[in-house]
Amino acid sequence: MFNLFKFLRLSAAEVLDGDWRYYAWMSGLALLSLAGLNAYSVQLVHGLGTTGMSDHVSWGLYIANFTFLVGMAAAAVMMVIPVYVYHDEPLHDVVIFGELLAIASIVMCILFVSVDLGRPERVWHMAPPPLGKFNWPDSMLSWDVIVLNGYLFINAYVAGYLLYMKFLRKEPLKILYIPFVLLSIVWAVSIHTVTAFLYQGLAARPFWHSSIIAPRFLASAFTAGPAFIILTLQLIRKFTAYRIADAAMLRLRNVVQVAIAINLFLFASELFKELYIPDEHAVHMQYLMFGLHGHNGLVPWIWTALAIEAVAIALLMLPASRSMKWLNLACVFAVVGVWIEKGMGFIIPAFIPNPLGEIVEYLPTLNETLICVGVWAFGFFIYTAILKAAVPILTGRLRLGGVPYTAEAGMEPGGIPKPDFGAGFRPQGARWVDPGPPGR
Amino acid sequence: MKNFSRKQFLKTAAGAALVMATRVFSTPLHAADKFFREPPWKRKKPYWGFAVDITKCIGCGRCADACKTENEVPREAFYFRTWVERYIIRRNGEVNVDSPNGGMDPFLPPHDPETVTKSFFVPKLCGHCENSPCEQVCPVGATFKTEDGVVLVDRKYCIGCRYCIQACPYGCRYFHPVLHVADKCTLCYHRIKKGLNTACVEVCPTGARMFGDLSDPKSAITKFYETETTNVLKASMGTEPKLLYKGLDKEVR
Ligand code: SF4
Ligand code: SF4
Repeated sequence: MFNLFKFLRLSAAEVLDGDWRYYAWMSGLALLSLAGLNAYSVQLVHGLGTTGMSDHVSWGLYIANFTFLVGMAAAAVMMVIPVYVYHDEPLHDVVIFGELLAIASIVMCILFVSVDLGRPERVWHMAPPPLGKFNWPDSMLSWDVIVLNGYLFINAYVAGYLLYMKFLRKEPLKILYIPFVLLSIVWAVSIHTVTAFLYQGLAARPFWHSSIIAPRFLASAFTAGPAFIILTLQLIRKFTAYRIADAAMLRLRNVVQVAIAINLFLFASELFKELYIPDEHAVHMQYLMFGLHGHNGLVPWIWTALAIEAVAIALLMLPASRSMKWLNLACVFAVVGVWIEKGMGFIIPAFIPNPLGEIVEYLPTLNETLICVGVWAFGFFIYTAILKAAVPILTGRLRLGGVPYTAEAGMEPGGIPKPDFGAGFRPQGARWVDPGPPGR
Repeated sequence: MKNFSRKQFLKTAAGAALVMATRVFSTPLHAADKFFREPPWKRKKPYWGFAVDITKCIGCGRCADACKTENEVPREAFYFRTWVERYIIRRNGEVNVDSPNGGMDPFLPPHDPETVTKSFFVPKLCGHCENSPCEQVCPVGATFKTEDGVVLVDRKYCIGCRYCIQACPYGCRYFHPVLHVADKCTLCYHRIKKGLNTACVEVCPTGARMFGDLSDPKSAITKFYETETTNVLKASMGTEPKLLYKGLDKEVR
């Protein structure tokens, strides 16, 4: 118990400490979060009328971001499966960053749903009885509450347990985490499936009422998530003493390669079904792709998304993206492309035209955008903070009773931390990037 | 011989018991089956339904106005519990729909009347669907169906997630700008409980709107249901609205 307390205290101290770049980054994020909070207070006082949403387009940027982030959270599974099922070596050391990303993403998801509520003070109504009144199993939204919170719990537990054991310099007990890891695989698929069913189940919105939505969501999630993790890993190895082999990046590149191809294929399949013999339900797709009766607010967005996803897929397929520079570019494109395609490109067209055939377009207001930026900034803040504490634990610098920078504490002479491979890891032909001087 | 007869006896007894058991159990099963096969409005008394005779509607919009007054619906032009649409069908197949302020403002005559083949008014409101998707999706059970077949929103419990608004295929729900909850037609529940008519039916000058008890074989709405050829909107959705239209054109959505 005392050790746990010490673990938390030392981690907190680690989070509070850093160089000027760290402080600048964190203060910037904090400022943006506060700006978002301020915008949210405006919305709280004046209601959802401060957003661009209307009676016609009654879900907007909040739900779009929510959908995207559920995917980011689910993407951790693309590292968990190779590591724990196939015992993939290069990914072994970085799988925890996926789990930590899942935690930050779910927090953002919950925030995005909360800011979207008209009566946020009643959010506890969504809790299971006896606290709230749960319309379970009828409502997909109550399913979502269960699976998202469950996923948050599982990931927080697994990542927390492994880090804590590392901190204690103990071998983690398999029985205490492997069952949860396996559960998290099923659970990750379930969070995105349930989120897809949320839309897919609505016969009233033909654009969503398509059986391909759940597979599409998974494919896009496994594109954007691992791509984002690649970018994160690049930053981690640039700014911290933690060594990450190129092999890990290349393994994730394989995942993104396959996922982005499937994603575009599924999108094309949907496009074909809607447009080959357009029935009355094809209007939404027509609006999205080409505009309808002179309204074409989403056309530039979706074509941008498709174009940069196409560039991303080309880059990923070419050997060029074996070099980290091109890989990074491809990943940025993949993340942004999916964000547009799955957010604005998926939520908004379902409302245009509305069930009565009226066309009312949607444009987020400044206030609404600020809230979104605030939530994102807060998510990055959390993610950075967790990483800040996790990395020194993983390198072995932060440990129980450990004296940093000694030979026993896992440091080689000269203050460079020994790469920490975890059980059974043998770097074979992996190219090491010089991590530079240790963190401080 | 002795052995055989005992066997015989047991067989007969078992057979008789089986027959009796089938009889005993089948009677209530039969009754239950009959009960569940019947439409719900035959089971519960009263069970409210609504009907609109499109051929009688003149588009005066008094129903929309009365509804706003009776139910304190915000006066802005986006919030309606009931509204009237005008369909104009042109010779080239083009369909124009308009609803100026929900039908409360005058419908302007078309500027090119010679191209028009037909035109009619369609009053709309919540159908209080038998299989209401809005009720199904509500995460907190704030949307519910009453014993007498009316779909209501609990304003004190709704969290304002607007999932129900996405689920309604008829665009009947709106987000209340002051209360920040979902809102829609209540079939004037406060009035019908006292034996009054709904406000819109009360003011309709042509009797195009009809409200009544579907479980009462002698009520006017039952007569209407049994003698007129009626239809519901988007029947393929399987929502089974208890809102019947007479004279529904195929262009109406
Ligand atoms: S018409 Fe719409 S709001 Fe009314 S019960 Fe049916 S689905 Fe619900
Ligand atoms: S807006 Fe209210 S009534 Fe509608 S689904 Fe959400 S909680 Fe239920």
